[in-house]
Amino acid sequence: MLKRIALAAAAATAFAGIAGSAGAYPDKPITLIVPYKAGGTTHTKSMVLSKALGKELGGTVVVKTRPGAGSAVGVTFLSKAKPDGYTIAYTDLGNLIWNPMTKKDVAYTVDHVRLIAGISEYQSALITTPDKPFKTLDELLAYSKTNPVNVADMGGMSKVFLNYIAAKENVKWTAIPTRGGGEMVPFLLGGKIDFAFSGGIHQKHGDKMIVLASFLANGLAKDPDAPTTQERYGIAMPGNSVLAAPAGLPDEIAMKLEAAAKAAMDDPDFTQVLKNIQFPKRFIPSSEIAEFTAEVTKKLQEVVEATK
Amino acid sequence: MDILNSMLGGFEAAFTLTNLAYICVGIVLGIIFGVLPGLGSVTALAMLIPITFYFTPLAAIAFLVGINKGGTSGGAIPAILINAPGTPEAAATALDGYPLARQGRPEKAMKTALYSSVFGDTFSDIVLILLAAPFAAIALTFGPNELTTIILFSFTMIAALAGRSLVKGLIAAALGLFLSTWGLDPVDSTERMTFGTIYLYDGIPLLPFAIGTLALSSVLSQLYDMRRDRGKPPPPPLPPASQFRVENRIAPREFWGNWKTLIRSACIGTGVGILPGLGVTLAAFLGYGAARRASPRGDNFGKGELEGIQATEAANSAVVGSNLIPTIALGIPGNVAAALLIGAFMIHGVVPGPLMMVNHAELIYSIFASMLMANLAHLIIGRVGIRIWVQFVKIPKHIVLPTVVLLCVVGVYIPTNSMFDVGMLFLFAGVGYLMRKSGFSIVCLVIGFLLGENFEIYLRQTVLINKADLTVLLTNPISLAFLLLTLFFIWHFGIRVPLRQKRERAAAREADASSD
Repeated sequence: MLKRIALAAAAATAFAGIAGSAGAYPDKPITLIVPYKAGGTTHTKSMVLSKALGKELGGTVVVKTRPGAGSAVGVTFLSKAKPDGYTIAYTDLGNLIWNPMTKKDVAYTVDHVRLIAGISEYQSALITTPDKPFKTLDELLAYSKTNPVNVADMGGMSKVFLNYIAAKENVKWTAIPTRGGGEMVPFLLGGKIDFAFSGGIHQKHGDKMIVLASFLANGLAKDPDAPTTQERYGIAMPGNSVLAAPAGLPDEIAMKLEAAAKAAMDDPDFTQVLKNIQFPKRFIPSSEIAEFTAEVTKKLQEVVEATK
Repeated sequence: MDILNSMLGGFEAAFTLTNLAYICVGIVLGIIFGVLPGLGSVTALAMLIPITFYFTPLAAIAFLVGINKGGTSGGAIPAILINAPGTPEAAATALDGYPLARQGRPEKAMKTALYSSVFGDTFSDIVLILLAAPFAAIALTFGPNELTTIILFSFTMIAALAGRSLVKGLIAAALGLFLSTWGLDPVDSTERMTFGTIYLYDGIPLLPFAIGTLALSSVLSQLYDMRRDRGKPPPPPLPPASQFRVENRIAPREFWGNWKTLIRSACIGTGVGILPGLGVTLAAFLGYGAARRASPRGDNFGKGELEGIQATEAANSAVVGSNLIPTIALGIPGNVAAALLIGAFMIHGVVPGPLMMVNHAELIYSIFASMLMANLAHLIIGRVGIRIWVQFVKIPKHIVLPTVVLLCVVGVYIPTNSMFDVGMLFLFAGVGYLMRKSGFSIVCLVIGFLLGENFEIYLRQTVLINKADLTVLLTNPISLAFLLLTLFFIWHFGIRVPLRQKRERAAAREADASSD
């Protein structure tokens, strides 16, 4: 009896295996890795994105956060997953490239990851409060020549960029380390620091904060007139968030995922949440993403060289 | 009057059957997560926020607030019944709750914990309602200078918490401090003690550390004791609870007799909640420590003193409400739970921060009303639940303990899906076990670890902002006040009290000798 059950089970498993390989993707839940802490903007976006992707693919997409090391932990995990389309990730392109470029212990390279599509944009900027004696980047630079200035950075790329600009302009900025917008905002509003790097959180504070410069090459959605670090110093932060999979993902599945991501762009819930947190959509199709990534990599390489 | 009008409007919007149902479900879920050792309100919030996307904003927040309230008090139940705190903040509850349960009065301990919890919660909610708007201006004056001295001051309570041996307490705290420095350096991003593994870049993860040292090590220790006592006759079973009916009652006079402790702890919890980054666990231990020092029965603390439970539970629950003050006024989460709530607000298009009180005043006052309603619901649900939870003690240990081990593992695994964290859990369970058996204070270790990270970064920010000129700590009035308090505490608890105790012991010995 037992033997017969075991046989039946084995047959069922074998059949499921065949059905699985022949059947339509997806036939089981897809894991969407978010390499940042729960509650942040990337995680907030991912929760609605996963619903929209699931709807398009006709399956379930489950968000799992794997935070740590500025996204390196989650992306390393992704790069080691089976490239079967059941483990994908939603993360920012900048750190995905930056981490293996600058940290020697990161266990993946960009070649271990297949980028499926660009989804939206962060809004990285240099910001300050309206009560300061400077209202623009130029005024800040002039002020920095004669006054000691503190700036809040958020580690990693932001610190490298700030140091680079200060060196180019021959001013001395003391970088105060903060652990994200939650810590930077009260310091800035409370007058503990003179200006700050923001990943986009300043948009929540309306006219209590003003933008001095944009770190995005194409400028900011809400403050299109702010000067960009690209035009001034030839460096910009890649602000794109992307959908990624382990390298070796079959083209067929990659195309399905890309089509779903494109369709998810018009999902009303996803649109609403992006509107609520004021991050613009920025869909980059797979046909352009390789070129886009190469460009970003080149730019970041220049930043690394310039800031050595 | 404005506040009163707004609150009436809030109640009008919040007092619906649907809303009440969401609150109640939230509280029940919160208590269940809190009871399961290893899980807690943070895990519950992280897991359940995604489903609230389909609720209205008010229902969603009311539901999540219910979870947070239930989760914070639920942790006390396993702390009392099996000495395995469900959440780190309930660790101090176990100190007196567990002995009380061993004396056949688990229901009394749980009732006291629940009532104190609801008291602290309500107190804190009222402070929140009154202070949310005017708070923004005050909170912004606290920068690195002030925060450094506040944390320095917080360290002195280690002296009060160290138990018998101050030296062992300091060693444990120093170990905690050392462990908090692992990971990438917060200023220069150089690696410290990462052993080349990327999983340690962000330092030792808090959840496995706290659950391992506090909960799992206690379970392992109990398992070991069971094995050691295998051959021995079993201890006489606890007499049925019915025999203790009288002892398990709690008279209003007995509860309110300690009103000073309740109010003191509620104030401590509220204060800790307002200042971002200090956390629920700290409030619990501060409340407990302050009560032990102030109470005439202070020497009985740790042996099943009702006042100890009241002090802890009123303090840790009082954090929940006041934590929303910086969250709502500034958009700064006071702790992880509040950070997750911010995420939930944002999903619904409500952005916490200085503009929230202006743009979403109606919603905020409805949330305040929901919080007060949740307290009442909490009291009723929690009280009914005690009958059910008390059955837990009747389940034999050889079934409960392995289940708890499993739940600890699940609780650590779920938020990050990381087997590395599970490994850390067992590592720190081992560390906690060794410390337990050798008399080093685990509480001091955890406090050192929790405060260490913030202390380092605030100190380094202070040094950088002031260009290495630290005299500012003496000229800034808030910093100076906390520095003086620190010195006073060191002198009082580190030098004066031990000397007095030494003299008293010497006198007692002499008296013994002369009476012979």
